[in-house]
Amino acid sequence: MTLKTLLKFNFKYYRRHALLAVLCLLGISLGVGIVVAVELINDSALASFASSVDFLSGKATNSIISTYGRIDEKYFKTIWENPKVLAATPLVDVVANTLETGSEPIRFLGVDPFLDTPFRDWVPQLANRDQMLRFFGGNPPGVFLSKDLMSRYNLKKDGWLTVLDAGLEKKIRILGPLPENSGAGLNENLAVMDISNAQEVFGRVGRLDRIDLIIDGPVNSALPNLPSGLKITNANSKKSTLTAMLYSFQLNLTAMSLIALFVGVFLIYNFSMFSVLSRRQDMSLLLTLGCDRQSLLLAFLIESLILGALGSLIGLIFGYSVASYSIGKVSSTISQLYFQVNALHVELSGWVVMTGLAVGFLATIVGCAIPAFEVAATPPVLGLKRQSIEDRAKSLRVYLFLVGAMFFVGSIIAAWASRRSVFWGFVSAFGMTTAFALFTPGFLSPFTYYLGLVFKKIFFNLEAFLAARNIGASLSRTSIAVAALAVALSMTIGVDTMIYSFRTSVSAWLDEALKGDLYISPDTTKWDHPLPTALIDQAERDPRIDSIERYSTYEIYLNGKPVKLRIIESEILRRKARFIFVKGSENLAWKEIKNGAVFISESLAFKFNLTVGDSLTLDTPDGPRKFPIVAVTRDYSSDQGTIQMDRTVYKRIWNDDRVQSIALFLKPGVSREDVKKSLADQFKGLERTIVSNRDMRERVLTIFDKTFAPTSTLKGVSLLVALLGVATAMMAILLERSREIRILGYLGLTSGEIGRMNIYQGLIMGFAAYLIASVCGLLLTYIIVYAINYRSFGWSIDITVNRWIFVEGLGLTLLACFLSSLYPTFKLVRTPSGTAIKEE
Amino acid sequence: MKPLLRLVDVRKCYSSGPKCEIFPLAGINFELCQGERAILFGKSGSGKSTFLNIVGGVDSPTKGKVYFDNREITAMSHVGLAYYRRKEVGFIFQSFNLFPTLTVGENVTLPLDMLGIADYTRAHELLAAVGLDGYWNKFPEAISGGEQQRVAIARALAKTPKLILADEPTGNLDQATGNGILKLIDQVCRESNASLIMVTHSADAVWLAPRHYRLKSGLLVEDNYTN
Repeated sequence: MTLKTLLKFNFKYYRRHALLAVLCLLGISLGVGIVVAVELINDSALASFASSVDFLSGKATNSIISTYGRIDEKYFKTIWENPKVLAATPLVDVVANTLETGSEPIRFLGVDPFLDTPFRDWVPQLANRDQMLRFFGGNPPGVFLSKDLMSRYNLKKDGWLTVLDAGLEKKIRILGPLPENSGAGLNENLAVMDISNAQEVFGRVGRLDRIDLIIDGPVNSALPNLPSGLKITNANSKKSTLTAMLYSFQLNLTAMSLIALFVGVFLIYNFSMFSVLSRRQDMSLLLTLGCDRQSLLLAFLIESLILGALGSLIGLIFGYSVASYSIGKVSSTISQLYFQVNALHVELSGWVVMTGLAVGFLATIVGCAIPAFEVAATPPVLGLKRQSIEDRAKSLRVYLFLVGAMFFVGSIIAAWASRRSVFWGFVSAFGMTTAFALFTPGFLSPFTYYLGLVFKKIFFNLEAFLAARNIGASLSRTSIAVAALAVALSMTIGVDTMIYSFRTSVSAWLDEALKGDLYISPDTTKWDHPLPTALIDQAERDPRIDSIERYSTYEIYLNGKPVKLRIIESEILRRKARFIFVKGSENLAWKEIKNGAVFISESLAFKFNLTVGDSLTLDTPDGPRKFPIVAVTRDYSSDQGTIQMDRTVYKRIWNDDRVQSIALFLKPGVSREDVKKSLADQFKGLERTIVSNRDMRERVLTIFDKTFAPTSTLKGVSLLVALLGVATAMMAILLERSREIRILGYLGLTSGEIGRMNIYQGLIMGFAAYLIASVCGLLLTYIIVYAINYRSFGWSIDITVNRWIFVEGLGLTLLACFLSSLYPTFKLVRTPSGTAIKEE
Repeated sequence: MKPLLRLVDVRKCYSSGPKCEIFPLAGINFELCQGERAILFGKSGSGKSTFLNIVGGVDSPTKGKVYFDNREITAMSHVGLAYYRRKEVGFIFQSFNLFPTLTVGENVTLPLDMLGIADYTRAHELLAAVGLDGYWNKFPEAISGGEQQRVAIARALAKTPKLILADEPTGNLDQATGNGILKLIDQVCRESNASLIMVTHSADAVWLAPRHYRLKSGLLVEDNYTN
């Protein structure tokens, strides 16, 4: 029998079972698609960020930045005069929102156009006097905008751009587009303006954000004695520092992608195996008719290659579409939480294509090869009997259970080992999931048997009884589908419970931390936009206000890594708010912080291995200085880690009293709305940033929810993939048990009753998967919280079980399984019960 | 005596196009009273199973009418036919057709469950009568072919049907076991006064029924079977 004949035979099978072929391809493409989508999103965000850094750096070999957030402009002259510095240019680099571009922020670069010439060819060359006057003139200040930005928002030359600085509106004149020859294809929302205008507009008078350099020779010998607090860096180190900041965010995405990959591979395997096993009898017949095993195996291998290729191709397109759809949201979350990225386009890289193809091919080939090999190796006479497959599945379940037990123990050991590396946390999660997947056949068999009895003897429900027994009788099909669904569901329950616990912990922390009646806290706080002094003075003078609490948060460097320095007013906070002290004596801590000690957040303590009694060294204008740590507090505001310092101490050392946000504590009986209105009337734009305590909480929790939004998307896709598995398993049962179903018709079961039986089958499979997933999901929560989350971020989370997650999980599963069973049921009901069967 | 089953000019044709090409049944008239038995002989493909399926309500004639207990089953809906099979007809198949997922006891009680009868006394009695007392919790795969056919007979009779339709019930069994099964069918039909139509090739079954028929060119011909 030739290979061509066998391939034709296989092709005809798919023509007869077109729906199965579609399901098979769908399973493969969804599995591949999820992996590709996550890889693309991660890559695109980083690539966009990296190209942005390169673009903005221009020809600079190095940059000088401050380790405490700002460079005094007086240092520029000394650096510029250094003979080893071939060129130097001062920069103000600030991100801000504008009324015209809404939620899409713009990077404003304040430059000196004369000094900047050697660095960037896209900074406008001012050709005539009129242009110079408009560019340097401060009233109103003028900007050049990237052409793409102008066309997207229909911004015109000589039009206005309304910058929101600390929430307040500032008008800037649009001078025109940036030169055409620059950065073609770069998605950078860029505005270039005169440096002194930028300092004025963004409250940075006398300070710089960066000095770009072109240095001849080694960096260290060129600038050996930089003033304290200044650090020389280059584009690459900037990229790696900021990429490290994304670690936690990407960890979340990567974890979900691995989950999806796991479910995807499971499903691809399921589909491929099903397509082979459903032809088991045909294969045995072909062997009986004289076909040789090698040809048979080769035919299946070629088939799986074709399926894998088609499925992977569709998967790549699907993944690309999902990534393109989500990239905007992910970029905006990264911009909100970490740093500005403008990844609006997704580019397929060779690596991602290879990963997707490898996943698709490997899983399809393994899925086809194992059962095909098994059938080819089985004596044809046994292969002709379907029951022998089920007998094998039944005998295997004990071994699978034992292997599952080994995985379970391994998972616990790995969770313990996670204290050494977070890698073991992931190993633990996958070990636990695999363990429960392997437990599935061992659980499903007795479960469906006894559940059937319950249906029959207690509920007198014959259809449900028969459905339960059918599942138990088709273990080779049902256990894989139930395991895949259980894996997806347990991940969902585990991740949802973790997110819920996390959210509850954050909410409890906010309850204690946010005690002010009103907050003036612009979105731009993260970009270091100070509030105008007049506003703070006004608030202080207002007789309706009891006290105000002034905050500032700066990005500084501790041991070379970016962390947050939050400036607080301890005297007020001690009375008004309540900190959650994880370590350290509360009374002593409040006393010592006024004397120069600091509080650190849990994540900082974890990342830098610091605790109460230790001290940390920060760069100050006067040189490095030690600060004793008197408390470790719970603080979820930044996963980089936060140092809290009293304002009087900060002001004394850094000579800086800027304020980024304030909390207003009103006198008893004063209306919040009145205060809000009167302040907003005096400062245009303030109505957008003055919020109540409740709004502030909601704003923080909205950011929290946004961070975990991609998780929900991936979770949904994983669940969809798993449910396709249920639909396929049910179709398989329908194909294989069609004779038994017709006998039920002979015995008098109506089409409707047979249809109900089929729906019960789907529901019972869903319920079984749900039960497995509930236990596995809870265990996964502990692993995610203690072995992954804590080891990655240092945040302690109080695990809170939300019964609605379980109720919702059950409801969604049953609904989805019901929907999965509709098509097979429809097919069943369309055939009148009691269709004649042929006697052999 | 009123006939329990009456077939009036029943025709069945199969076609792959608009024109009838194969006529397994070409105008059958047949009557059977309560407790009566008939055996149907015929070559392979002569239409024996089609006849049985039409009587059992799992197939419909192209033309003609079938009455059971004065009710026209050819006019019944699919649901009506399902209830007819559920209540009135017991099927015995050549390949037993037990449910491998159900125990022997559950296979036998399945028709009772369908009728909502929770009393399994008759199922226990029938299993004892077919010599399988103590097999209640065994699965079909654990018992022999002859035993499986005995379970199938018990299943067919559990609901005390008025009509038993047996399609080559001994076709998959050796002669000794087959003879035992025929005796069993005789015994249980007598006890429950059920009517029986049996399709067979086997001459060993002649004694089971006084009326013998043969399907010839789509027509039912009385046959005084003389081996």
